[in-house]
Amino acid sequence: MRGSRNLIALAVTLLLAAGISACGGSSSSSSSSSGGGSATTSSGVKAPPLKPGESINGQQLLGKKKGGTLTVLSNGDFEHLDPGSAYYALDYGIIQATARPLFSYPPNSATTLRPDLATTIPTTANGGITDGGKTITVHIRSGVRFSPPVNRAVTSKDVAFALERGANPNVGNAYWPAYFGAGSPAPLVGSTSASYKGGPLKGIETPNNTTLVFHLTKPGAAVFISALSLPLSAPLPKEFVGPLDKHAPTTYGTTYLVSTGPYMIQANSKGKIQGIGYQPGKSETLVRNPNWNAKTDFRPAYLNEIKFSIGGDATVIGQQVLKGQSSVQLDTVENSIVKQAYQQYPSQINFTPGSGDHYLTLDTQHGVFKNVNIRRAMWAALDRMAIVKARGGLLVATPGTHFIYPGVNGFDQAGGAAGPQVDFNKNVNGDLAVAAKYMKAAGYPSGKYTGKETTLIVVGSGGNGPAIAQIVNNAATAIGLHAKVSLVDQSVMYSKYCGVPKQEIDACPTAGWIRDFADPLSVLYAPFYGPAIVPTNNSNWSQQNDPAINKAMAKAALINDPAAHAQAWANIDKMLVDQAVAVPEDFDSEANIFSKNVAPVNMAWNEGLFDFSFTSLK
Amino acid sequence: MATYIARRVLWGIVLIILVSALTFLFFDILPSADPAVLRAGRNSSPATIAHIRQELGLNRPVYTQFFSYMKNIILHFNFGYSFYSGAPVLGLIKDRLPATLSLTVGAAVIWLLMGIPVGIISAIKRGSILDRVSMGVALVFVSMPVFWLGLVVLFLFAKDIGRFHVFLGANTYVGLTSNPARWFGSLLLPWFVLAATSAAIYSRVLRGSLIEAMGEDYIRTARAKGLRERRVIWRHGVRSAITPVLTIFGLDVGALLGGAVITETVFNIPGIGRLNYTAIVQSDFPIVQGTVILAALFIVIANIIVDISYAYLDPRVRYS
Repeated sequence: MRGSRNLIALAVTLLLAAGISACGGSSSSSSSSSGGGSATTSSGVKAPPLKPGESINGQQLLGKKKGGTLTVLSNGDFEHLDPGSAYYALDYGIIQATARPLFSYPPNSATTLRPDLATTIPTTANGGITDGGKTITVHIRSGVRFSPPVNRAVTSKDVAFALERGANPNVGNAYWPAYFGAGSPAPLVGSTSASYKGGPLKGIETPNNTTLVFHLTKPGAAVFISALSLPLSAPLPKEFVGPLDKHAPTTYGTTYLVSTGPYMIQANSKGKIQGIGYQPGKSETLVRNPNWNAKTDFRPAYLNEIKFSIGGDATVIGQQVLKGQSSVQLDTVENSIVKQAYQQYPSQINFTPGSGDHYLTLDTQHGVFKNVNIRRAMWAALDRMAIVKARGGLLVATPGTHFIYPGVNGFDQAGGAAGPQVDFNKNVNGDLAVAAKYMKAAGYPSGKYTGKETTLIVVGSGGNGPAIAQIVNNAATAIGLHAKVSLVDQSVMYSKYCGVPKQEIDACPTAGWIRDFADPLSVLYAPFYGPAIVPTNNSNWSQQNDPAINKAMAKAALINDPAAHAQAWANIDKMLVDQAVAVPEDFDSEANIFSKNVAPVNMAWNEGLFDFSFTSLK
Repeated sequence: MATYIARRVLWGIVLIILVSALTFLFFDILPSADPAVLRAGRNSSPATIAHIRQELGLNRPVYTQFFSYMKNIILHFNFGYSFYSGAPVLGLIKDRLPATLSLTVGAAVIWLLMGIPVGIISAIKRGSILDRVSMGVALVFVSMPVFWLGLVVLFLFAKDIGRFHVFLGANTYVGLTSNPARWFGSLLLPWFVLAATSAAIYSRVLRGSLIEAMGEDYIRTARAKGLRERRVIWRHGVRSAITPVLTIFGLDVGALLGGAVITETVFNIPGIGRLNYTAIVQSDFPIVQGTVILAALFIVIANIIVDISYAYLDPRVRYS
């Protein structure tokens, strides 16, 4: 008996040691092990080591088999299933399979918009854009019907209702103000009134059941059409949703839901999903929408059923997916699992470059970083490769060099992977000589800060936040700043510190702004537009308020020619780099794992998450 | 006895009210972040935040908020809505309670069945090889963190990812009524993991307590009366030695019913503990408040039951 206990103890010890060696040293080991395929540009920026066929843009959209059940394991829960409230990638993954916005991105493209519920993309040539870009006419398809219990055909009034409820505080849509309301560069007519909280809007007309006419106060058609790819434009039946919206918050999406896409969340005869097809924090089940007409849709919808299991330990989930059948992991894969999959299950992992970015915001209005040269010195001193390693290595991140990230229009015009060729941006490993040069320019002859002020750095305590805070702290200390790092809960960092200008937080690492759509406005406007600064829940953490940059943004937002639009925003990106309003840390690449009998299709436009209406079983 | 029970229940109610008041203080008066901003989400407009502040009643005087909060809890057992999903907290708790109950009861049965016999045998066979081995093993289990032990048993014995495909692993839990066999199978590993540490602690506590009890005068008297040794041990030794174990048991069961956070997370059992863990990570205050009050309620109830049990187990204890 004693002998067998010793054997078990030995086995357990060995297993633990193996586990530690597999997980440990994620920074250095993962980057060195994956270095084989990486290429280095002239500025020292390494491209991700993707193998042929691993690139998201090269993936096959043709399914392998019709039918079957896919199990989706997710560590995190969904936030909002109501297209009117949804604002995060996991939620968008469900909505892409259950709702039909006016326009959509096909899964293998991050930039090419295509009609979804609409029949065509409005252009000046086809008469969809008139009045110099202030009027947009959209025609919708016939034959699209709501799922039970509504069952009737979708009309243009359903789209108008869905859009208008974005202003209803009970719905709490996050982007209504930015793209349709008062905060938009080209608001809908009638939407800017402070008293408007949903309901019929002058700026949206429905002359017949298949036509919508939008009237903007300014000629901002290009951005407006892109914004109609957001879930808010998916039609909703007023007779079903209206009564639910009277509740604060609305119970549409948490308790009841109807669909227009190929799938619906399993519901009872009254459309109730909670406790049936959706159990918050536990599970969700997508089944086929019996009213879906394949002839009206570009989604193939191979799978019969998609079962989501929410929660669990991320390392256990990773093992279950790699060793199991018919399953995928929905949310971020643990670094140790990425490495294991890449080395041992190479056919069961893929990567989506351009899934987002991170940067270090610097308070441009207060404290030491009010001085542009100290900001540039901080940029030069920061070891961005160390941050990439902290995030899991080159498989999942490359050094950031500017603010429009890969997969967003204008990325190449703004400098591509290497970014603008300014000296403080050149060395991604950090360059203290260049940093010293800018500190001297800032009025510190020794090349280091000699003032008394303390530099407060606030960072989220979860994940790799502490490791990145340490790297930022090293850079700050290297240029002589008296840095004080404060680790707080992620939500507290947003809501109490970095998002509250009066707190005057000098630096917030790990900030990021995921695109709402392929337009560069959607990654630069909210986090860097000066007039949008608000006292709480502020998105412009750097408090960038340079009049020249603000003016350029307001002007670029109204350029409707695609090439000129992208170039204008690329120029703004260069201005932001020149002013060093923040320091790019990394461009993200999303790793996804799946079982060997799954033919995955990932959404290039949605952080690389699985597209359940294209993914199939082999 | 009835008076005693009534008094304990009354104090229990007072305690729950105090805990409720404290949760109001921590999460409504001194929150780590603005509840309206948390409820609104990261990119919400000032208008939406203002509307939510109004809806949550955060603009009202603190005493009004407090009375409204207490009224909702005491009269309606209503903890409000999740900031994150918008679902009613009470509904979420009701939904998660069966899983936690299943986990706790099964684990408690196992650790009692393991811990009590081992503790008794070790005490009776004090100094023997059996005593040393069992106490050594107990020490090992006491030293093992639950999250580590959970992962190790999964990687060793789970059917899907284990080295030896023996037991159902993580993410396999189903309700008792939907599939009893699968319910039982899915809980075997979590039960043993959760029970391992407690069984070890109970055996060590009982061993010490029983050794002390067996040296008492009343034991010598019982033996002098010619009682059989087994009867002496069970009726006189164990019965008095078990009271400290019972005290720990009440606290443990009460706390676990409030959520076995780590075990539920590692094995992905959708219970109160996982609900609470997720809520803490997301700063979902209404859920945290609800689960804290629920945990306090369970601890109070478990302790009242334990106190009443003392009277039946230990003849020296009488209540007035």
